Amino acid sequence: MHRIKIFISSAVILCATACGGAERFEIDGLAAEIHSGQCAEKSDDVVTIYSGRKENLIDPVLRAFECASGINVQVRWGKSAELAMLIDEEGNQSPADVFLSQSPGPVSFLEAKGLLAALPETTLNRVASQNRSDADTWVGFSGRKRVLVYNIDDLDPSDLPSSVFELTEERWQGQVAIPATNGSFMDWFTVFRNYHGDDVATEWLQGMVDNDARYYPNNRSIVEAASRGEVKVGLVNHYYNYQESAAGGSKHRAENHDFNDNDIGSLLIITAATILKSTETTVNAQALVDYLLSSPVQQYFTDQTLEYPLAANIAPNHVLPPLAALQIGSVDFDSLGNGLDETSRIIESSGIQNQ
Amino acid sequence: MRQDNAVKGLRVFGLASAIAFAFPGLYLIWRNFTSGADPLGLLFNNQTLQPLWRTIYLASLVSTSAACLGTALAWLTARTDLPFGKMWRVLLPVPLVFPTFIGAAAFIRTLSPGGLASEWLTAFGVHQTPQLRGLFGAWLVLTFFCYPYVYLPVSARLKQLPGSYEQTALLLGDTQPQVFIRVILRQIASSITAGTLLVFLYTISDFGAVQLMRFDTLTRAIETNYLARPPVSFAMSLILLALAAVVVTSERAASRHLPKISTHQSHPPVRYELGSWKVPSLLFVVATFAISVAAPVAALADWALRGTLRSDGRPLTVSGSKIVEATVNTLTSSIATGVVALLVITPIAFLANRHKDRIGKFAHSVVISTFAIPGILIALSLRFWTIRSGFIGSFFYDSMTLLIFAYVVRFASLAIGAASVAVSAVPTALHDAAATLGADRRRRFRTVDIPVMKPGLLAAAGLVILSTMKELPISLLLAPIGFPTLTTRIFSSFEEAFVAEAGVMALVLVTASAFLSWSLVLRRTNTL
Repeated sequence: MHRIKIFISSAVILCATACGGAERFEIDGLAAEIHSGQCAEKSDDVVTIYSGRKENLIDPVLRAFECASGINVQVRWGKSAELAMLIDEEGNQSPADVFLSQSPGPVSFLEAKGLLAALPETTLNRVASQNRSDADTWVGFSGRKRVLVYNIDDLDPSDLPSSVFELTEERWQGQVAIPATNGSFMDWFTVFRNYHGDDVATEWLQGMVDNDARYYPNNRSIVEAASRGEVKVGLVNHYYNYQESAAGGSKHRAENHDFNDNDIGSLLIITAATILKSTETTVNAQALVDYLLSSPVQQYFTDQTLEYPLAANIAPNHVLPPLAALQIGSVDFDSLGNGLDETSRIIESSGIQNQ
Repeated sequence: MRQDNAVKGLRVFGLASAIAFAFPGLYLIWRNFTSGADPLGLLFNNQTLQPLWRTIYLASLVSTSAACLGTALAWLTARTDLPFGKMWRVLLPVPLVFPTFIGAAAFIRTLSPGGLASEWLTAFGVHQTPQLRGLFGAWLVLTFFCYPYVYLPVSARLKQLPGSYEQTALLLGDTQPQVFIRVILRQIASSITAGTLLVFLYTISDFGAVQLMRFDTLTRAIETNYLARPPVSFAMSLILLALAAVVVTSERAASRHLPKISTHQSHPPVRYELGSWKVPSLLFVVATFAISVAAPVAALADWALRGTLRSDGRPLTVSGSKIVEATVNTLTSSIATGVVALLVITPIAFLANRHKDRIGKFAHSVVISTFAIPGILIALSLRFWTIRSGFIGSFFYDSMTLLIFAYVVRFASLAIGAASVAVSAVPTALHDAAATLGADRRRRFRTVDIPVMKPGLLAAAGLVILSTMKELPISLLLAPIGFPTLTTRIFSSFEEAFVAEAGVMALVLVTASAFLSWSLVLRRTNTL
């Protein structure tokens, strides 16, 4: 009797895995909006991602990818810079197959260390040439535009400057917040240095210091301070004000202002995807990166996270200011890996962090 | 003879622990060599000296104020007829659980000009609150988040302090203040210094609060330079560790002169009547609670409610099941860490304090200095060692064991001060008497050591658990993949300005900590 029981239960277990039909992923919510229709059969393949993009922003995309491809995705979430350091420490033993970075600095750091694999041309060609690495090791998959956030009770849009260079003028004394040691600001300033030259960039930063610009640690705290009226304007990227006003409603008292399209202040800072040289599952990793650049995902980025799409000819969501001139975007992001140390040196010696 | 064997065993254990806790420090030294860092050259550079000076200045201020605040609160709640005493004992440790990256932001949101409290304060005639920034802001927020480092061990000590000394002093004609200074303060001095040391070390390693308050200390420069100029980061971290070692060594030297403490369980602690001081004392405790807990919670609740109740906006990006998952992970990992930390720390405390053993004292210093190393370096160093130790390394690579080990390395230092006081509090006379009556070592440990040490050890575990619950960098970099904690999810949400999600989960974290504080630290010690 006992034996029969064992036999039956083991048959049931076997059947659940073998004859019960293939298992499929199940998705709902935003993920189901990205991928409609039935999911592919679950495979044994696993892609491991180290993601500096936060779970709230990209998890639906990864769930949709699992459904579409049948490939399992596992993620270590973190800060882009710290994950880059972890990958550097793990070297060729890193479990990571794909690294998603919030800004170009951390991928450039890994590129300089020789830890990144070359991406296939078909993947690279999905984005414009300024939004990928010259060494073919990483590709941008969404963008955030640098803007000036301002308090709407203190200022009228007509009062606002058309160039970052105006912010060193006397009328902005003590009014401007600047996230001088934040990752995306440091990336922006590195591009600024390459575009206008070190002399102009250093002089501008010194001008900001002399004009009593206020140092803040990050974009979010500047948008929050601008809304409270603690500062009148601040240099941030466009994304944060949308989130704060979505959460705060009419209590949120700040808006974004765009500099001129050809001003360095309007630079598009891109998020980047890359594949590690040490990966043992190149094909699946590539499938994932390609998926990020596919049309439903690019549409999701602009509609749900209100960022600029970079591929598949998707137009930016109508609430975003038009991204007319991309000449500025064509500046070379590749200098970042080697240029960051000089950027850090210039920022530290300007004394901005004590303002 | 058996005595010797036991001490030998403890020594081997102490040495092994010292080596394990030295991993991050050794890694840091190694990285300084391999990255071509120049810590000495950097030390005498103006761009390092200024933040270093600010670090020391801030840490000294915060230590002093947190020591006074923590001791006062401990005395009021443990030894007086303060109204609602039990409730305060549950609530006062709670500030320990705020991760500073969101706690300090919530402070600013409520108390800064234009913040949530500004309209409300206008009704009381306060029209302009001071801007929370720089030295003042950093001092304020760190004092109110760190006083539990002093409060918990001191109140544990106060609750077991024998009433006989005080009664004798009172009988001999001393006034109550005289009794406090001559008797009580002498008996709790070692708990106060141990807690204050933790406040100092925490302050020099904190990043979240100083950066949001825009007070430029060493950790800010360390954090910004990880990718841009790694040698600068590593060198500055080494300077931080050296500073910690100096402070720890001087604390040990100074505490040698502290009066010897002892405990007899025969007399219950004296309870003082506050009399006309009752209302001012209550106001003082309420004010502390209002600043340290109610103010940040107000901002968290505002974020949470405004975001969840909005009619037009998008749905929350974090589901209920994700919050439950993160809460369970947070509780299990932090409680496991608390237990393991006690198991590691108690033998070291025995070795150092009962047997006055050199290895024990060395292990004690290594353990406690480690508290000044930023969490990310502890995570990277353990990754470094697991990758280079072959089979054993691959066994631990992506495991809970590694995570708990890292947490213990980061936070066991919190327990060692309280554990040492607990070990020293066991009266040798009681031990000798038990031995004379024929109790063997094991029985003496169970019937003499454990009951006397229990309040101190539970306070120590409480410190470790509440701190582990808010840990961020180690949880991000070393947790097994797919093991989110509340703090990692709060961070993900808050960093990208999903303030409603961050607010909801931070409130869950605060509630969980209050529950733990109620069930772990207080309910049991009260039954003693």
